[in-house]
Amino acid sequence: MSADDLNGSADRAVGGAKASGPPSIEAIGLGWTYAGRSRPALRDLTFRLEPGRVLLVLGPSGSGKSTLARALVGLVPHVLAGDWQGSLRVGEMNVAETPARLLGERVGLVFQDPDSQLVIARVDDEVAFWLENRGWSRPSMQAQVPEALRQVGLSGFELRVTNTLSGGEKQRLAIADVLAAQPSLLVFDEPTANLDPPGMYATLEQLAGLARQRRHTIVLIEHRLEAALPLADDVLLIDDEGRQLAFAPAGSVGYEAVAMLERSGAWVPRAWHGASPTRAGAGKPGQDSGHRPSATGAPLLLAEGLYFHYPADESGAHAALYGVSLQARAGERIALVGPNGAGKSTLLFILCGLRRPDRGSVGLAALTRENEPAEVLRDPSRLKAREIASRIGLVFQDPELGFVGRTARDEVAATDLAARESGSGRESRPPDPDGVLARFGLGHLTDQDPFRLSQGEQRRLSLAALVLRPPAVLLLDEPTFGLDRRGTEAVMKLLDEFRTTGQAQFLATHDPRLLPHCDRVVAMDRGRVVFDGRPAEFLANPPYSPAGPWRDGVASDLTSAGTLR
Amino acid sequence: MSLLPAPISAVRPDFLTRVTPVARLVAGIAWLVAAIATLDPIVPIRLMIAAIVALVLWSGLPLRRIPRRLAPLGFAILSLTAFSILLAGANADRSLAAIAEFGPVRLTAPAVSAGLAVGLRVVVIGLTTLLVFGPSDPTRMADSLVQQWHLPDRFAYGTLAALRVAPFMADDWIAIAAARRLRGLQAKGPAARIRETRDRLLVMLVASIRRAERLALAMDARGFDSGIRRTHFRALRMTWRDWLTIAVGLAVAVAALLLPR
Repeated sequence: MSADDLNGSADRAVGGAKASGPPSIEAIGLGWTYAGRSRPALRDLTFRLEPGRVLLVLGPSGSGKSTLARALVGLVPHVLAGDWQGSLRVGEMNVAETPARLLGERVGLVFQDPDSQLVIARVDDEVAFWLENRGWSRPSMQAQVPEALRQVGLSGFELRVTNTLSGGEKQRLAIADVLAAQPSLLVFDEPTANLDPPGMYATLEQLAGLARQRRHTIVLIEHRLEAALPLADDVLLIDDEGRQLAFAPAGSVGYEAVAMLERSGAWVPRAWHGASPTRAGAGKPGQDSGHRPSATGAPLLLAEGLYFHYPADESGAHAALYGVSLQARAGERIALVGPNGAGKSTLLFILCGLRRPDRGSVGLAALTRENEPAEVLRDPSRLKAREIASRIGLVFQDPELGFVGRTARDEVAATDLAARESGSGRESRPPDPDGVLARFGLGHLTDQDPFRLSQGEQRRLSLAALVLRPPAVLLLDEPTFGLDRRGTEAVMKLLDEFRTTGQAQFLATHDPRLLPHCDRVVAMDRGRVVFDGRPAEFLANPPYSPAGPWRDGVASDLTSAGTLR
Repeated sequence: MSLLPAPISAVRPDFLTRVTPVARLVAGIAWLVAAIATLDPIVPIRLMIAAIVALVLWSGLPLRRIPRRLAPLGFAILSLTAFSILLAGANADRSLAAIAEFGPVRLTAPAVSAGLAVGLRVVVIGLTTLLVFGPSDPTRMADSLVQQWHLPDRFAYGTLAALRVAPFMADDWIAIAAARRLRGLQAKGPAARIRETRDRLLVMLVASIRRAERLALAMDARGFDSGIRRTHFRALRMTWRDWLTIAVGLAVAVAALLLPR
C-alpha cells in the first residue's frame, strides 16, 4: 500500500489519533517485579531506540520479553500489579506516569495466541472494538474498518465469524485490530508462535511489509529468528534473569554477547553462529547427521484405511480423514506435519481411541519385557483404561490438561498406582517417583502443585509422568511449543531416552527444526497422507504449495548444541 | 476444534432478523410470563401455535435442522410430562373419575391436564428462546442491550467474550477425560466417579481462568473500559418493525391468556 492511502485514512479518522510520527523508546534502569514474586521479571534495561526503527528482542523463556511488551502499552504498571523501577519513555510520554488510555492512542500490541485476543464473534465488529473503546465517531469507524482489513489482505471478510478463520487469518485480523487505531508504535509478542507454516509465512510477510513502510516504530519478539532477524535494525539481548546483555545494531552484535545469549538457553540466529566453525552448516537438510535408521523394529501401531467425518451438524471447521494408513515400528520417531485442518488432530484422536473411525482399523501392540511386541489389540476406543495405558500415551500441547495429580510426585506415580490397583503389576519392584523427578531436573519440586510450575517444568513433568509405565507408542502434540533452545533440547533428550526402550514416537509439529531429529516424516493435507518418507526427502521437496514456508527456517540451532545427534 | 453443536442461527434475512434483539426479547418475555401464569394447558397451546407460525414465516431459521437439534429437549419434555401426570396428587383423589387405569396406576383428567400444561410450557420456552436468540448473532444482542437498555459495557462485552471461548471449554473437558483414560485411570464406583468429575472440573477451571486472564489482558491492551465514553460501530435504532413486533407479541400473549376457550 502507498503512503497516500495511509494519509487519506488518517484524514478521515475524525477523533482518531493525531497525526504524529513514530516515537522513540528510551529505557533507563527499567526494572519490574510482579506482585507476589520475589524474582524480578526485568532488571536494569537501558537503551534508546530511534524513531521508526525495528527492534528484535531476544532471550530465553522467562527473560521478561513479554513483560517489556506489556510495559510499552502500559499494561505494566497500570493494569498488572508489581514494583516498577527506573523509567521508560515512549516518545514524549513517560509510561509510569501516563494514563493507559493516552498510551493506548499511540501503541498497539499483538499477542501470541490469536484465540485469546479476539474478543468479538464477527470480523468487522472485532476490528471496530478498539475504535469504539476510544470513542471514534461512527462515520470514521465505517471508513477505517474496511481500510484496516484491506491492509492485512482480509477485504471481504467483514461478515465472517472469527472462530471460522484459519490461524493465519486470525492473526492477521489481530494485526488489523491494532492497525485500525493507527498507533505509531507496534509491539508484536511472538505473533507466529501458534501458527502453522502457511499462517506463519503470511503473518511474517505482513510484518515485513509494515517494517518496510517505516511509518511505525516496531518492537518484535519472535522465535522464528531466520525470518525475523532480516527485518530488524537493532537487537536487544536479555538473559534468563531479565538482565540486558546487549543493545546493538542487528549487524554488529559482539561475539561475547552472543555467547552469553546462547549460554542463557535462548535460540540464537544462524547468521550469528559464523564465529564458531563447528556450527556452520550443521543440520542442513539432507545432512541429518547420525540418527540411526531404525525402521527394523517390530510394528507397534498399525492403522489401515481410516475414514472419518464429523457429523454434519457440528461446525465445519473439523478435518475429516479419507483413507489414512500408516504404521510405526519399535524405536521409530515420526514427525506428523501438515497445515491446520489437514486432519492431524483427528488422526491422533483416532489412534488413541478418543474417536472411532467410520471405516478402517487401528491395532496397538504393547512392548513386552524383552522389547518384543505382544499381541495386537484392535479398536483402542473399546480397550480398558489399563490396557490402553500400556499401549499408547498422549502428551498435550498444553500439559496442564493432562495433569491428574495434586503434586508432582502423585503425577509421576499415578499410572503405576492404577496399574497395581488393577493387579497388572509386572514386577514387584517399588516405584521411585522422587528418583524420576530428580532425573528430570524436578527433584526440588516433588511436593509442588503441577499447575504452579513454569511452562518448561510442566512439559518435563508431563514426560516424567510416563517413565514408570512407558507406553509402547507415544503421541506428542507440539512437544516443544513455546520452549526456548534449552527447553527444546531437554525435551528431545528425554524423548531419546524413551526411545531406547523401543518406544515409537509421533511428533505432531509445525516446527521444521525438529524434522532432522525424526526417522520419518508423515505429511498430511486435507485428510490424506501426501508424503511418508525420510526427512531429507521431505525438506528437499515438500508436498505443499507454496513449499517455501515448510523448507525455510530449518535451522541448525538444535544440532549445534551438541546434546543431540 | 469444537465439539459443541453450533447454535441454530438464521440462514436468510427475514422479518425477525431485521428486528432489533431487544424488541424480540420484550415480546419473548411477555410470552414466557403468559405461559407460566396459569395452569390451563390452552394458554401454552395457543402460544406454541403462534411460535411455530412465527418460526416458519418470519424467522429465517433453517427449519429442517430444528427438530433434530431440539431432540434432547424433546426427551426432557416427554419425561417431564409423564412424571407430572403420574405423580399428580389428583390421581389419588377417589372422588374423581379415572380416565385410565393400569393396575395400581390411576389417571384422572385434572392430572393429565396439569401434566400436559407443564410439558407444553417447556415447549413454549424452547420455541420462544429460539425466536429471541436465533435470528441474529450474539454480538447484536450485546450491542442492543448496551445501546437500548443501557447495560454496562463490562457486563455485556464480558458475556460476549465468554460466549466466544465457551467452545474451547467443551474441548478441554473432553481432552481431560481422554488424558485420564490414557494414563490408565478409570473411576470405579460412584464415589470414585464423583472424585473424578471434581478433578476434571478443577483442571478445566484452571485452564479457563488462564484463558480468561489472557483475553482480559488483550481487551485492556485495546483500551476497554478505560474511562472514555464508548461509541458504537453498528447503529441500532427502533424502527416500525420493532414496535410492530413488540405490539403483536404483547397482543398474542394477552390473547392467549384471556380468549375464551
